[in-house]
Amino acid sequence: MVNPIYIIAILLGSAFLIGLFQKKEKGLAGILSVLALAFAVFVSVSWFIHFTSGQQEVLQIFTGGARPPFAINLQMGLEESLFTMVINVLGLLGFIYLYRDFREEGIKGSVIFLVLMMAMNVLIMTRDIFNIFVFLEVASIATAGLLYLKKDFRSSAAGFKYLIAVGVISSFLLIGIGFFYLHSGTLNIDTYLQSNPTAVKGISMAIFLILIAIILELKPFPANGWALDVYQAAHPGISAMISSGTATASIYLLYKLLPLSSNDWTPYLIAIGLITFVGSNILGIAQKNGNRLLGYSSIGQIGFMLTILGLAPRLGEHFHFIFLSIFISHFLAKAGLFWISGIVQKQNIKEWSVLRKNSLLLFMFGFFILTLIGFPPFPSFYGKWQLIMELAQQRFFILIVAILAGSFFEGLYLFRWFGKVMKGEEEKENSLVIKWEKILPPVLFTIFAVIASYFLNNASEYGHSLNLIPIYFIILLFLLDFLPAWIKNSLVITAMVIYSVRLYPLIADDSLRLIFAGIFMLGGILTLFAGYSIKGKRAGFFPFAVMMYAGLMGLIEAENLFQFFFSWELMTLGSYILILRGKKSLIHAFNYMLFSLGGAYLIFIGIALSYFGHHSMDLNILSSSTMPGWSYSLLAIGFLTKTAALGLHIWLPGAHAEAESDVSPMVSGILLKGGVFGLILLFLLMGAEQSEQHTLLYVLGWLGALTALVGNLLAVFQEDAKRLLAYSSVGNLGYILFALAFMTNVGWLTALTYSINHFLFKTLLFLAIGGVVMRVKTHKMYEMGGLIKQMPWSFIAVLIGIITLAGIPPLAGYAGKWLFYNAVITKGWYFQGALVFFSGTIAFLYCFKLIYSIFLGQPKDKFRKVKEVPIWYIIPQAVLIIGIMIFSARPDLILKPLGNMLAQSNYFPTDPLSWENVTASTNLGYWSGYKIMLVIGVMFVILLLWLMLMSRKAQKIKQFNIVYAGERPFKPETTHFSHNMFSHYYKALGFLSLPLATGFWNGVNSVTHQVADSTRRIYTGNGQTYIIHILIYILIVYMLMF
Amino acid sequence: MNIFLKILFVLLGLFIVLNWGLIMSGIIRKIIARVGMRRGIKVYQPYINLIKNYSLRSQLTHGVMFYLGPVFRLSGGVGIFLFMPLIYGSEYWSNFSFTGDLILIAYFMFFGMLGMALGAGEGGHPYSGIGVARGLAQFTAVEVPFTLAIIALAIQYKTLSISEIVAAQQGGIMHWTLFTNPLATIAAMLSFLGAMGHSPFNVVMAPQENPIGPPTEYHGTFLGVLQTNRAILHVVEAVLYMNLFFGGAGNWGVLILKSFLIYFWAVFVGMVFPRFRVDQSIPWLLKIPLVSGILAIVLLMIK
Repeated sequence: MVNPIYIIAILLGSAFLIGLFQKKEKGLAGILSVLALAFAVFVSVSWFIHFTSGQQEVLQIFTGGARPPFAINLQMGLEESLFTMVINVLGLLGFIYLYRDFREEGIKGSVIFLVLMMAMNVLIMTRDIFNIFVFLEVASIATAGLLYLKKDFRSSAAGFKYLIAVGVISSFLLIGIGFFYLHSGTLNIDTYLQSNPTAVKGISMAIFLILIAIILELKPFPANGWALDVYQAAHPGISAMISSGTATASIYLLYKLLPLSSNDWTPYLIAIGLITFVGSNILGIAQKNGNRLLGYSSIGQIGFMLTILGLAPRLGEHFHFIFLSIFISHFLAKAGLFWISGIVQKQNIKEWSVLRKNSLLLFMFGFFILTLIGFPPFPSFYGKWQLIMELAQQRFFILIVAILAGSFFEGLYLFRWFGKVMKGEEEKENSLVIKWEKILPPVLFTIFAVIASYFLNNASEYGHSLNLIPIYFIILLFLLDFLPAWIKNSLVITAMVIYSVRLYPLIADDSLRLIFAGIFMLGGILTLFAGYSIKGKRAGFFPFAVMMYAGLMGLIEAENLFQFFFSWELMTLGSYILILRGKKSLIHAFNYMLFSLGGAYLIFIGIALSYFGHHSMDLNILSSSTMPGWSYSLLAIGFLTKTAALGLHIWLPGAHAEAESDVSPMVSGILLKGGVFGLILLFLLMGAEQSEQHTLLYVLGWLGALTALVGNLLAVFQEDAKRLLAYSSVGNLGYILFALAFMTNVGWLTALTYSINHFLFKTLLFLAIGGVVMRVKTHKMYEMGGLIKQMPWSFIAVLIGIITLAGIPPLAGYAGKWLFYNAVITKGWYFQGALVFFSGTIAFLYCFKLIYSIFLGQPKDKFRKVKEVPIWYIIPQAVLIIGIMIFSARPDLILKPLGNMLAQSNYFPTDPLSWENVTASTNLGYWSGYKIMLVIGVMFVILLLWLMLMSRKAQKIKQFNIVYAGERPFKPETTHFSHNMFSHYYKALGFLSLPLATGFWNGVNSVTHQVADSTRRIYTGNGQTYIIHILIYILIVYMLMF
Repeated sequence: MNIFLKILFVLLGLFIVLNWGLIMSGIIRKIIARVGMRRGIKVYQPYINLIKNYSLRSQLTHGVMFYLGPVFRLSGGVGIFLFMPLIYGSEYWSNFSFTGDLILIAYFMFFGMLGMALGAGEGGHPYSGIGVARGLAQFTAVEVPFTLAIIALAIQYKTLSISEIVAAQQGGIMHWTLFTNPLATIAAMLSFLGAMGHSPFNVVMAPQENPIGPPTEYHGTFLGVLQTNRAILHVVEAVLYMNLFFGGAGNWGVLILKSFLIYFWAVFVGMVFPRFRVDQSIPWLLKIPLVSGILAIVLLMIK
């Protein structure tokens, strides 16, 4: 093994050597630097391998041949080898990234860079406090030197502020070190720790000064203005070094020095970290400059790591895993993002949409953003999960809330950024200039992140229980993205069929899971069929579609809460990107993500609360939650964000309406059922019929009823066909929530019938309407009209769809209505029930508007030549119609086994539905779907034949040949009665549709932005102010501590 | 019972109901005319209209849905008839009521409405669309008190089966829902006004800016079908209310008398009160009718 001292020797030696070079030899200087850095990487990697392969013994390096306290000693153990390794890898790649920029400056850049790297290596390895001071100074000066390399005013000013700030901080450190030596008589950490630290008098002040200085180096909020200016002004390649490199060294330094304080500091560290994490992320919300935004995020993440450091004693054996997971995500993602920023060379995040010109860059950008936010399967997810669960075990609920709030704010601005990149206005510039040395480092870091994910998944406590096959398949799809869409589509459909076949025997006994698996899988396959009509590559569609379906299936298969949450997040992420693909869906996808993210974190807290007092992650722990009220409510609200309950529904209409034609049915007919399935699991685990959560259920019942009312009413007043359907989904999900809240056998059958129906008819309707919209290129119903002649098939599909939706016998919708009446009267929720029935009749209004405005009335001239929708849209519609017919005629095929299961599994044993052949009956009434179908069918056919006989000579007449007071109408546009069709209804009941929820959330949004915007005014840009901040910060922490 | 015998009785019942419907509408129109100091039509005029319409030679259609509209409409009317038990205690006159209960009838009403709306829609005449929009909008509010009344009945009689509800009202006039649950009856009978489409709730068919509402474009055989349906539907709807609130009927004589009186209630009110606009009728239906429906349920809940 090469002695690690050589890292320092080689780096320093090369720096000196290059210093002797002439400007002309800058090429040689570059090569030498790369070799030196590569050597450093080699040494640290070899030590890391050495330690990870089972070696325990820590290497002590005594400089000057003497033992401490007579000489400085360095240490190389597992931790040091890891941290020097990541820093050296970063250094090597960072240097390659900056290579061309350094060359332009001659040899100076290389020298300074090598010195910085050397300083960081020493900071990690040294065990001597004064040595720390020296190399902190070296690092600071080197950093400032790098800042000065970029010759513009901002960068120089930032460098100057940086030097001053760091100078002030160092002076506190130096004073602290002086006191430390005075009281303890040593400068060596180990010597001090081996002595009896508590016996040393007057030491606490010294340690305070040392630690506060190191903490200030980590840029705690709000004493961090100087650092933000640096991030903003510096060359992004250097920001990457500061954010990932210097911060890593500093945080390790803190980790190393923390034992000096014998744990007095932990609560303060937690507080400082959390304030930084939350505060910095809130301020990020109002930020528009990309690099500064990364600065906020960087500082936030470091705050988070500080908190974890503070929690170390409490996290015990899990500390290393958690810390590493968060650290490695931040380290890789932040450097990667800064590097990408250097390629983009744009200030405002709006202009980052130029990334779309290069799919590799776009992919990496998305990858790093998601890594930062901590979505599964990205590395930080595992650590965050473990952390939250450990905190829950120890009743640190406030901490959980604060951490997730901070994460939420971070998600907020990162997703806004992500959205702007994906869908923001197109940049005019032709293309990005991409040099190989600029793209190599982020590519490698992406690969490292994938590898890290793999190892973290294996190392995590529950990771081994995950089914990673879908994830590998998603990765495969990314790699195959260059293929034409139809090949990928076939591949995905085949995979889903195979998956379904594999899954079936596992859940065959569980009718509930079977139904939802059917909705997810069958629905997935059907909606994917529509995708065959799309030509080209459809880049980036399939991985995310599979991600969504994999998430949904994961919910079905989940055996523990970790799997459940993992799948939940996966589904959210996939669906978000699917929605984001719509032309105008930027803001809607963002809203969807905000609500989903908030909802997911509430679910997270709910799970954590339930986990308290348990030792397993099994789903069943929910049923013995020690804080049932809180955990159930939070979980319910979390699921309700997905089912778009009243108040949480405002994301849905836009998201569903603006998505692509074949994505709308996916996210409406299918995805919403994910939320329903969550509620079903929750309610079953709450004890089903025996549940004692009466208040919660009662509230949810009312919420469902009001959702149904408002959703349907709003649908009536829409002019946009897809929005109308989207609001109708809100209403329908309201029914389902209402019926689930009954917690009775028939109530649940109602809810499940509704779920099946909603899947069938809403997928059908969205496919049909989506197809129409694709042909006529407008969403506005009043612009269409009379399309029945051009699109007879779509008309039939919509007709079947709305008959089912409206619950008109003989189709399956009536099954839901009948069950509903019985359930309502049995349960005794009469008034909520009446409200829901009222909503049901309101549904007729929009059903009529939908079919009439589009297919009937007056055809417009511009649509006379539109064609029927593609066959690939018709095939799934036909299958769905067959499904509706079967379910209408033989509802017993599904409802009988389902009812039996609900009754016999002791979920809902009381008052089940009884079946006699095809006739179902309750204590109240009876209904025979099959016979009704028969009677109505026979009658309809007879009457039709009769009319055909009577009017066999009927003559087809022209469009304008109508009874119009002897005149011809002016033109179709003015004769088509459609726009504002229900104005009278609005006059009567429009007050119920006032956008109160939207107003409320807009209020919340503007208050948050105001707070963020006014708070960040403390960063005046003035170096003196920043120094004052630092001093006040020290003073306040001091006052609090002593 | 033999299925063929059953079908025979069903057809016979349909024939009786159709004729009674035609005669009743003749009588009613005569009464309306006399109240308005006019001579009015002959009582058998509806028959003449029907025969004339069926035999008109000019038959014009706007398309398939236009064609299907009347079929849907008549299926709706006949369907409700089919699912309705007519005469209490008689297996012969109970039609196909074994396939579904009150809820089936309540929801099957929409079948004809929807079909009619779509058929009229394909006519392309804006008045059709306007009429449908008005009709549907008003109907949502009509349904509210009726729904509450149904719920009240279901609580009271612990069943949704119409036959059982009628059975529970036997044994004298004081057993009728009218007296055992007056509030529910009030709610339902006020909603009945809206359902029957006489003034003040006839803006759907408003004879002025909107000549005859949704069927504006229909004529000849198509109009004949619609008239046939109307005759059947009016009787059947009255029979529904009779079964639910007025003790049902033990024989055809009682059925004819009661259905006439129930139907006449809507006509009577219509002769006295002027027409509502839709935005007036909806709030009206959501005041007294709604409150009496709610009170009916509250009283039952307190018991």
